[in-house]
Amino acid sequence: MQGGSSGIGYGLKYQARCISDVKADKDHTSFLTGTLSLKEENEVHLLRLSSGGSELLCEGLFSHPNEIWDLASCPFDQRIFSTVFSTGDSFGAAVWQIPEPYGQSNSSTLECVASLDAHVGKINCVLWCPSGKSDKLISMDEQNFVLWSLDSSKKSAEVLSKESAGMRHSLSGGAWNPHDLNSVAATSESSIQFWDLRTMKKVNSIERAHVRNVDYNLKREHILVSADDESGIHIWDLRKAKVPVQELPGHTHWTWAVRCNPEYEELILSVGTDSAVNLWFASASSERKASESPVEASRLRVNPLLNSYTDYEDSVYGLAWSSREPWIFASLSYDGRVVIESVKPFLPRR
Amino acid sequence: MATEAAPMDEKAKRMRDLLSSFYAPDPSISTSGSSISASFDNINSTSFDADQYMDLMIKKSNLEVLLQRHVQMAAEIKNLDTDLQMLVYENYNKFISATDTIKRMKSNIFGMEGNMDQLLQKIMSVQSRSDGVNTSLFEKREHIEKLHRTRNLLRKVQFIYDLPARLQKCIKSETYGDAVRFYIGAMPILKVYGDTSFQDCRRASEEAIEIIIKNLQTKLFSDSESIQARAEAAVLLKQLDVPVDSLKDKLLEKLEQSLDGLQIKPEEASLLAEQNDSSNDAESNEQHPAKIHEDAVRGFSEAMRAYREIFPDSEERLFKLARALTAMHFENMDLYIRKRVSAADFLRIFRIIWEDVVLMDEVLPEAELSDLSAEAAQVTVKKFVARTFSHLEQDISDTILKFDINQKEAVEEEVLKVVLEASKKAGLQGTTDIFQDFRQLLDENIGIFVKMKDLIIGWIQNGFQDFFRSLEAQFLVLSGKTSSSKEIEGGLVEGKSSDKIHAGLILVLAQLSVFVEQKVIPRVSEEIAASFSGGNSQAFENGPAFIPGELCRVFHAASEKLLQHYIDTRTQKISVLLRKRFKTPNWVKHKEPREVHMYVDMFLHELEEVGKEVKQVLPQGTFRKHKRTDSNGSNTTTSSRSNTLHNDKMTRSNSQRARSQLFETHLAKLFKQKVEIFTKVEFTQESVVTTTVKLCLKSLQEYVRLQTFNRSGFQQIQLDIQFLKAPLKETVEDEAAIDFLLDEVIVAASERCLDVIPLEPPILDKLIQAKLAKSKEHNNNNNTVSS
Repeated sequence: MQGGSSGIGYGLKYQARCISDVKADKDHTSFLTGTLSLKEENEVHLLRLSSGGSELLCEGLFSHPNEIWDLASCPFDQRIFSTVFSTGDSFGAAVWQIPEPYGQSNSSTLECVASLDAHVGKINCVLWCPSGKSDKLISMDEQNFVLWSLDSSKKSAEVLSKESAGMRHSLSGGAWNPHDLNSVAATSESSIQFWDLRTMKKVNSIERAHVRNVDYNLKREHILVSADDESGIHIWDLRKAKVPVQELPGHTHWTWAVRCNPEYEELILSVGTDSAVNLWFASASSERKASESPVEASRLRVNPLLNSYTDYEDSVYGLAWSSREPWIFASLSYDGRVVIESVKPFLPRR
Repeated sequence: MATEAAPMDEKAKRMRDLLSSFYAPDPSISTSGSSISASFDNINSTSFDADQYMDLMIKKSNLEVLLQRHVQMAAEIKNLDTDLQMLVYENYNKFISATDTIKRMKSNIFGMEGNMDQLLQKIMSVQSRSDGVNTSLFEKREHIEKLHRTRNLLRKVQFIYDLPARLQKCIKSETYGDAVRFYIGAMPILKVYGDTSFQDCRRASEEAIEIIIKNLQTKLFSDSESIQARAEAAVLLKQLDVPVDSLKDKLLEKLEQSLDGLQIKPEEASLLAEQNDSSNDAESNEQHPAKIHEDAVRGFSEAMRAYREIFPDSEERLFKLARALTAMHFENMDLYIRKRVSAADFLRIFRIIWEDVVLMDEVLPEAELSDLSAEAAQVTVKKFVARTFSHLEQDISDTILKFDINQKEAVEEEVLKVVLEASKKAGLQGTTDIFQDFRQLLDENIGIFVKMKDLIIGWIQNGFQDFFRSLEAQFLVLSGKTSSSKEIEGGLVEGKSSDKIHAGLILVLAQLSVFVEQKVIPRVSEEIAASFSGGNSQAFENGPAFIPGELCRVFHAASEKLLQHYIDTRTQKISVLLRKRFKTPNWVKHKEPREVHMYVDMFLHELEEVGKEVKQVLPQGTFRKHKRTDSNGSNTTTSSRSNTLHNDKMTRSNSQRARSQLFETHLAKLFKQKVEIFTKVEFTQESVVTTTVKLCLKSLQEYVRLQTFNRSGFQQIQLDIQFLKAPLKETVEDEAAIDFLLDEVIVAASERCLDVIPLEPPILDKLIQAKLAKSKEHNNNNNTVSS
């Protein structure tokens, strides 16, 4: 297999921001990525890691009408994914289906399953229900978020409920709690908000300014990781959300995104605008932290940064762990370069 | 003839046998040898056979020998005969004389009986006469005896009647011992007849005794009396069956109460020390409290000695008291050093206490006061050392914070510099003072300190280690870096906490950490090596307590962290500014640019503030302009690319550039080395400013990338960036990087622009000039930067 530090690269034609792991593809390690070009014709690439793991192949190349700001693969159907796109002055979101005999034709067109057209403002993201079976979707713009029910066979999406977070909080993204499917975390200007989907009410919030990205830890309940511009990465225990369980220094410039490894609970990846991907080891057992004075704790703590992948030319925005091979992740820098790396050398011994 | 010689031998032999039979325990053994050997030739033996003897003789000997033997034998026989005759004669003589004596005795005894009868008669008459005398004198003698007894009784009665008077007299002359003796002598009588005949007497004497008891008690209680007198009093009281135990209790209680007076109260302690100070100068001052205290303690120990002698069974109690006093002393000491106390004062008080302890120890060596106080002293000294360090820490942070308050009132002045200098001084001075103090501790030659020397050194070393560690923590807390994790109520939004703490202060702290690392710690380690290294047993167990290398590392890390934190807080402020700038307008519907946007001014103003703070605190870099050539050398493509962006070329190539923008960027990126935007920050003015600018420009680029612009929006960005170029280059060390970043912003804007048509240079120029003129008009501080 590959050496680990020397990643496998793949170049997109244009700039790009988002990459997503195709979770539903059980046979291959595949990623979906879409370009961000204001003026050229945008593309969605379906990438697949060859069985040896030494090559990254383009399995499908599909044209996409607009520049793609967000892309998420459907957890139960590998052919379905959602995008958030911009035409320059307006935003839209849609669910797409990859046409059946994909891979052969160079630029086949995507089939639009449903258009999530309940928004007016700038749409941030589309979240798929993490259960892997449910056909629920959430789309989020700066003020509202909408819960959809998708019927892929009928090619329609139906608004189940819609809630406004209010003008004051401009939402910027979110994450669906994999441990409690009724709970969604949304990042806003000044806080991380937690919404209950049954009542569509805000139930809790963590006051924290300028949070860019949040991710739930799949393996450990109540643990949420957040990234913000100013002070890097914070790990929160949602049961006592006043003070972070642990802080990681993050990046030299903004920390753009964080992802918890789906298998190894201590591993966290972050990407930043300092053109680097950092791999962290967060042994965050909250008990240990609480028992010691902060000075001692900081002294005893070993450097949590396991590795920093710096072989990027531009800011890195896209990041995804492979759920099939959890030691593999894909990163995407703004110049359109996809890099697949393996963290095998850094895996905790079990 | 032949047998004549034999009797001689026989005789000698017989004599020998007789002797040996007399001496030997068993005669048969001694004789048997001779009887066997001479069974034939021994004439004396019982088994002597004459015929056999003869045969043997004849066989053995010749004639001559036989003849000789014969002669010898004849002579022997003759001898024996005469001997026998002699014996008979002598015995006869004796018999005759004995008969004579008996005859004489017989004649003497006659007439003796009559004499004897006479004697008996005479003795009988003597006896009867003496009986007569005896009976005639008996009556008189009885009478005399009676009289004698009465006299004795009368004497006793007299004594008892006299008792009160006598007691009074004793009271007067204070011979209580006699009084008590008298009273006790009279006691049995008084007990028996007290209720009847001697009622008055008894009462009177009891009264007198009561007075005596009272007097004795007062004597016992009075401190002016000699110990012996008091001891006697106590013994007397005991004899009088006065319950001494309660007295003892009372006395000891009194002693206990007097303890309060002996306390060195924390409030008075300073006075004590001060006065002592003055008395060192002028010995004449008699009334200084230290002396008074000493006297008091002397009195106390005297009293203890007295009580110990008086009540030997009260030792335990006294021990307790002495221990209590010692413990109290140290407790008070503890309270005393809670306030800020100089080592000299501390030592003075300590000396006083130690003297007290020594005094008491002399009196009560069994109380093990010295052990107790040694332990307490250890604790106290340890605490003192720890307190001293915490005071120093407090001092330093106070210095920092004190100025911080002022700072908010007068930002313009060079407060930061003042703060830095002041806290540097506080740090250095503080450690110097501490060393002086500790040296005093070590120089002190009170016994206990000599014993504790090693321990003290250990504590001092440990103290320094802990001090620096907690100083570092304190710095971090002051800077607001760790406050969020420390304060449990938490919830502190980063923005809030950084508002509370002035950014300049963080910079000061950063520089201060450097100072500590480079100056203070080496000095401290020198000092420790010079005067505080010693055979410390603890040190050998756990390695040396003071590890300057580790501390240097800690402070180095802290200084870097703090500097980074400073830059972070600064850039955050600007970042908020930029965020507002880019979030608010609708860039797709932007109007044509008329002037350079306000935020540029604010941005520059913030930078200027950073520059000002940095100038006050950090040293200037030595290589101000060298960096430029270096970075130019390393990124040739970057600089060439930035050249193309210069005004003249830019206008010409604008249209192509817009189209081939992406291609060019990619191409450029292929060839150039990565411009090192995020270099390590150094402790120089330029480095900090440059880093701040770099981070802000990077943020600017990222904000731009998130937007979509129309033509006018793009032009606005272009104008702003163009305006920024000159002043930024002025302030910044690494021009190439700034150039690159500014270009990147424009590139990002053009990438995100729907219709890229840059402003014409003349218009650009005109707008910039207008802006410059306007800012000149205002004539505010921007002047220096923008000119």
